[in-house]
Amino acid sequence: MKEKLDRLTENIDFALLFAVVFLCFYGLLVLFSSTRLAVTTGSDPYFFVKRQSLWVLSGFIFLTIIMFIDYHNLERYSKVIYFGAIVLLMMVIISGRSTYGARRWLAIGPFDFQPSEFAKIALIMFLADFLSKNKLKFDNFLYYLLPFIYTGLLMLLVFVQPDLGTSLVYLAILIIMLFVAGIKIKFLVFTFFAGISSVPVLWIFLKDYQKNRLILFLNPNLDPLGGGYNVIQSRIAIGSGGFLGNGIFRGLQSQLNFLPAQHTDFIFSVVGEELGFVGTILLLGLYAIVLWRGIKIALEARDLLGSLLATGAVSFLFFHIVVNIGMAMGMLPATGLPLPFLSYGGSFMISNLMAIGILLNVELHKVKW
Amino acid sequence: MRESSTVPEDVKQRLNRLLIFMVICFLILVISLWYLQMIKGEEFKERAVGNCIRTLVEDAPRGRIYDRQEELLVTNRPAVVVSIIPAEVDDLEKLSERLSKIIGISPEEISQIVKNYRENPFKPVKILDDCSTNKTVEIEERKDELKGVVLEVKPRRDYLYHDFAAHSLGYVGEIDKEELLQFGNPKYQGGDIIGKAGLEKYYDDILRGEKGGKEVEVDALGQEIATLLYQKPVPGKDLVLTIDRDLQLCGENLLFDKKGSIVVSDPNSGEILALVNRPSFNPNLFANGISSSDWQKLSFDTDYPLTNRSVQGLYSPGSIFKVVTAAAALEEGVTDIKRKIYCSGTFELAGRVFNCSKETGHGSLSIVDAITHSCNIYFYTLGKDLGIERFNKYMQKYGLGEKTGIDLPEEAIGTIPSAQWKERKIKEIWFPGDTINLSIGQGYLLLTPLLVHSLITTIAAEGEVYKLHLVKKIISADGNTVEEIKPEIHKKVNFSSDTFKIIKEGLRQTILKGTGWRANIQELAVAGKTGTAQNPQGETHAWFIGFAPYENPEVCITVFIENGGEGGVAAAPIARAMLEKYFNIKN
Repeated sequence: MKEKLDRLTENIDFALLFAVVFLCFYGLLVLFSSTRLAVTTGSDPYFFVKRQSLWVLSGFIFLTIIMFIDYHNLERYSKVIYFGAIVLLMMVIISGRSTYGARRWLAIGPFDFQPSEFAKIALIMFLADFLSKNKLKFDNFLYYLLPFIYTGLLMLLVFVQPDLGTSLVYLAILIIMLFVAGIKIKFLVFTFFAGISSVPVLWIFLKDYQKNRLILFLNPNLDPLGGGYNVIQSRIAIGSGGFLGNGIFRGLQSQLNFLPAQHTDFIFSVVGEELGFVGTILLLGLYAIVLWRGIKIALEARDLLGSLLATGAVSFLFFHIVVNIGMAMGMLPATGLPLPFLSYGGSFMISNLMAIGILLNVELHKVKW
Repeated sequence: MRESSTVPEDVKQRLNRLLIFMVICFLILVISLWYLQMIKGEEFKERAVGNCIRTLVEDAPRGRIYDRQEELLVTNRPAVVVSIIPAEVDDLEKLSERLSKIIGISPEEISQIVKNYRENPFKPVKILDDCSTNKTVEIEERKDELKGVVLEVKPRRDYLYHDFAAHSLGYVGEIDKEELLQFGNPKYQGGDIIGKAGLEKYYDDILRGEKGGKEVEVDALGQEIATLLYQKPVPGKDLVLTIDRDLQLCGENLLFDKKGSIVVSDPNSGEILALVNRPSFNPNLFANGISSSDWQKLSFDTDYPLTNRSVQGLYSPGSIFKVVTAAAALEEGVTDIKRKIYCSGTFELAGRVFNCSKETGHGSLSIVDAITHSCNIYFYTLGKDLGIERFNKYMQKYGLGEKTGIDLPEEAIGTIPSAQWKERKIKEIWFPGDTINLSIGQGYLLLTPLLVHSLITTIAAEGEVYKLHLVKKIISADGNTVEEIKPEIHKKVNFSSDTFKIIKEGLRQTILKGTGWRANIQELAVAGKTGTAQNPQGETHAWFIGFAPYENPEVCITVFIENGGEGGVAAAPIARAMLEKYFNIKN
């Protein structure tokens, strides 16, 4: 037992763990600031914070569980995990609960959860297993196409919810993992052009309302709430923060309920306004630690499977961070991707911490136990 | 222990390239943040703080409500709300004093309201609702010395005919905490005006629209100098009702000093032409936020003006119910057009004596005569022969055990007694005498006037029952029809056409020579049935159900007068007046 504990303390990445815990507390603080005056909370200013704390705690339980199950077991279970994700996503389409016209939620007892979040983790596990087994066959175009088909199925299932943002996350995970696994660049280029040229063909098969949704995705100004509105607000908020910010709880824009999704997709602008450049750089620094340690874990992994698992987890977090912050600053179109460890939401918080669990697992099992 | 890693070198190489890519992305983010916060920061800060940015919510005007002729019934008028933005006030005491002189609320009260509000200092605190034009002009003129005071124009619900059809229209009010939690939807926010009752509640999603808002820059004096952002509110959609204003008004007048309901509908579509409930209330009282004294007065009134009698009130139907007994007996073969029963004035069962309405007895009667003269003895006999089980089957067939499905949120279901029901609720077995009482609509049976109305629509339409509804179409604010509400079959009651014919014949004779003669109209073939229901509250309830014209029914009517006396005396003349109004017959 003692030997095991020693090994644990020897092999666990404390820098990574510290950064993650710091991020979670940082997130709760900003969340409290942005929601304490929200009228939907009723009389309890801690309503959102309490719930989010519960998600953080549950997330750490998942993290711990994932961390200790040797990732080499994946060889047996990766297919089960993948098909489980498919089944859950189909259930969402059949019987999911919808908000704002999109079906994304599945109720389990009193809790609603978003299977599309957990499918990210499932996809990372499945692809890592598949790619590590078939690495040598990559010269064969067919073997190269298979992961695209597997991922495409998941993308399709969330795309019809409709959730374009999340299906793009799946694609990002796939492409980064393929790149690291050693796919020929010319294949990627080929697929890119094939994908572009198939759009007009697919268009014919889409129903009118699906076309409308797509147009709406591509041109958010058609959104009744006005995608442009959020972005202008967000830019003003971030910019007005200046070097030190207005001080926590003192953001004009944030406290005025001016940012419609200020505790979810636009939480970064609350950081920007209230904590200024110092606050945003601190946040980016913490993310940098997480991603750097993630890559380091991938480099030092025992085998290709571990390396690819770590790559998947890193690419998931990386894509969310860059797209969300880019969106808050008006550099990227609003796709509605939340910010890891900060945005309010149970399923997302848990899937973030599961990704960290994967990293710690690979780190922990780089030696034989 | 540590074995050398088997990760291929080429993978490691590409991982390093990925790392470089990520570093570049982060650098771009850092540079952008530097630009936005450090270089442009002051500029944005000025926009956000230097000149105060004031945010004002602009409520969406609620959809209007029209009658079937598209006469306006409910609209919105602009109401000026005087508020104070705490964050902009320099000296609250001085401001309260100045404002007090104009609006007539004591300075102490004004400063108290502002001090008690601790939520968001940038949000306007309401001081005076629905400010008069004179006061508004004065505040506008003295703007300079009233820094922090804002005037907001809010659409206010305006029920043009006051207590007219108030129970159907319903009323609006500020969303309360429970509703906020219950909806749990960011669409709803504190302070929102939502439908609280009636159609206002049932069609809230359609009527409400989406609120907008604007962000304006104000200078040190509180003058607006620029509109930074403006989000136009989306007005709610309008409702066109099936209600006919003139017919409804006629009904309101007929019941003016009474308690009761009138339901008039088209059996060929289920459209409700009039739904009168008396006593009524003025929904305008709620639109301004009802005062506690008004609320006390309404909710403690023992005449229950807030109750929608026609859909919520449960009453004994009395002899009206004989149409159910008749249908059951005819369908089950317990009686037919030929069977005659002798009425001596009394009926004995297990030592109990039940009386007829006519003490001396009606003599020998067929089922048509029995309906015409509302003979109890005939129906007691049928009830006894049917038994409660078979009886229940026909009550269900008529749909009495369920809601009519009217588009109002308050609809109640009736009390339909059965042997099991009695054992469960009263812990007693079902006695044969209970069936006897039930056969003339007395005893435990309780129905809403709307359910009673569904009896007459079933008979008039010979079983093809349309869903009763109050909304004919929904129109968008720009006037384009959005949705036409199509008549919808609610249920099919498959009695034989003979059954319907016999009952209809009985109802026609009732008007010509029976208890319903006061509803007879020379120029129009009316058919109907009266009811006089005993009840524990005192004086009998008066009922009338009917339809006209006899051959091709266009309208069905139900009149209910709570403690009104005899149906033939109190309810039938009102039905007659309503029918005369509908068919435009001058008397």
